[in-house]
Amino acid sequence: MSARLDVRLVKRLPGFTLDVAWSAGDGVAVLFGPSGAGKTLTLQCLAGLLRADEGRIVVDGRVLFDADARGALVDVPPQARRVGYVFQGYALFPHLSVADNVGFGLRDLPAARRADKTAQVLARLGLAEHADRLPRELSGGQRQRVALGRALAIDPALLLLDEPLSALDAPLRRALRDELRQLLSDLGTAAVLVTHDFTEAYRLGDRIVVYDAGRVVQSAPRSELLWQPASDSVARIMGIRNVLRGTVVKATPDRIQIRWRGQLLEAVNSPSRSYLPAADTPIAFFIRPEYVRLIRKDRGSADPTHHMNLMDGVVVGEEDFGTTWSLRIRLSVPGAPAQGEYDLEVEVPHLVYEILEIERDRRWQFSIHRGSIHVLPA
Amino acid sequence: MDALTLSIRVAVLATAVNALVGVPLAYVLARRRFTGKALLDLAVTLPLVLPPTVTGYYLIVLLGRRGWLGAPLYAATGWTIAFTWYAAVVAATVMALPLLVRTARAAIESVDRDLEKAAYTLGRSEWRTALEVTLPLARNGILAGLVLAFARALGEFGATLMLAGNIPGKTATVPLAIYTAVQTGEQSTVIALVAILTVLSCVVLVIAGRLGARAA
Repeated sequence: MSARLDVRLVKRLPGFTLDVAWSAGDGVAVLFGPSGAGKTLTLQCLAGLLRADEGRIVVDGRVLFDADARGALVDVPPQARRVGYVFQGYALFPHLSVADNVGFGLRDLPAARRADKTAQVLARLGLAEHADRLPRELSGGQRQRVALGRALAIDPALLLLDEPLSALDAPLRRALRDELRQLLSDLGTAAVLVTHDFTEAYRLGDRIVVYDAGRVVQSAPRSELLWQPASDSVARIMGIRNVLRGTVVKATPDRIQIRWRGQLLEAVNSPSRSYLPAADTPIAFFIRPEYVRLIRKDRGSADPTHHMNLMDGVVVGEEDFGTTWSLRIRLSVPGAPAQGEYDLEVEVPHLVYEILEIERDRRWQFSIHRGSIHVLPA
Repeated sequence: MDALTLSIRVAVLATAVNALVGVPLAYVLARRRFTGKALLDLAVTLPLVLPPTVTGYYLIVLLGRRGWLGAPLYAATGWTIAFTWYAAVVAATVMALPLLVRTARAAIESVDRDLEKAAYTLGRSEWRTALEVTLPLARNGILAGLVLAFARALGEFGATLMLAGNIPGKTATVPLAIYTAVQTGEQSTVIALVAILTVLSCVVLVIAGRLGARAA
């Protein structure tokens, strides 16, 4: 499989160095990471708005930029790159109508063809009836579509989207996220999208490139990233909770036994690349809070053969998230808790919280299926 | 009333030269980085704080019959700008320039740079982007700057006196005519000219204020 997009960039700024290399195939590549990690800087280099000190940018076999330490050998100006850029906040021309915004990049076409092409893009994005409006007369979602239409009108070889949903409110954001995903997959244009929101990255990206402090810490297809973050720092950037550290007791290609807080936990080894650390090596793993099961007390005592990784604990803190409760549980074993005041964060739906009367009853047994303990290779 | 027609002619020309020179200057100062930028900024702004007579003196040193540029010009053509009405235009232009450049520069700087970047990715050169995006969006600020420049040019006294002199019917603009009239005790002329300048200045301030409010 040949990559459609090959990126290698070094850009030195005062107090910050961007030094990244990644490639992407068909579909959407998401640059994901905390603010200030260099994601937008990368987009600006891809568009030619900023010149990298060194590196190489190839889109579908066309070299847009190539420079070594001695200087630029190829540096196609932004005007000639055919890269569509959807800016954070959209950067629509406030003095031009929706149609003139969308047609802005088509100046070289004869007037009739320009009007045709503009109308076609407006129709496709459901903006036809707003053609004569000014950007300030549009809703946030409509503005986003105008920005997208303006970038698409030039038939870009590469589409760049910088936080395309961050200017919208939460409910609209979720609706437009799915709409945008559909649109991007229909278009088939290679696209690079920047976000600091993991849900957005996961919903919109085919490949996720994780940025941290000017470097790429992992680049993987989205499903691989979700279940196998390359390290616990990647897991933390992704916002994964319950990232824990234990020691290996025994590792086989399909199981890993881990000692943690005096418990012996059994986990499934990575299905795609089995990982065989020696006994006593430190190991990081994570447990998703929504995958911890509380054991009901009205159904007799828990059966260790049925309930894997069974533990006892006390709820020492809780927080209401509207539809779920987040419980902080401390194991009933001696020693300092793993995460400050508590060992595990557990998430339960409101209904479960009420049926089990967790508000009144704080002492619980719980179990974690071995498939829900995710090992993070060092 | 020779003084008034002369004054208006000088102010209009000075404003036109300001538009041609000052707007590109404001753009370059707002958007480009180059060596000597701080120096250029200083040179443009200096007439705002220097006593006008000092600015006028520098203009004589530069353009007078024995000046750096004036001497070669005089040697070649036998003509000097000093004590002609063109000199009044030059003096008014230089004195008004900082007002336009500062106002226009602030207006250009307030245009979102992402708009220009968007235009570049859509195939526009920097020049076309300035004409189609930046300057139209900074328009009200630039117009406000031009109105202020016009008012400043209309009221110019010190630098004009130094470079153009006070020749009635030739270089004596309204402010200079007022000075002469006060010296010679022509009360009615003084009152008429003062009233005209006051009204004109008020009109200009109101226009500039409205444009400024719309730009913000």
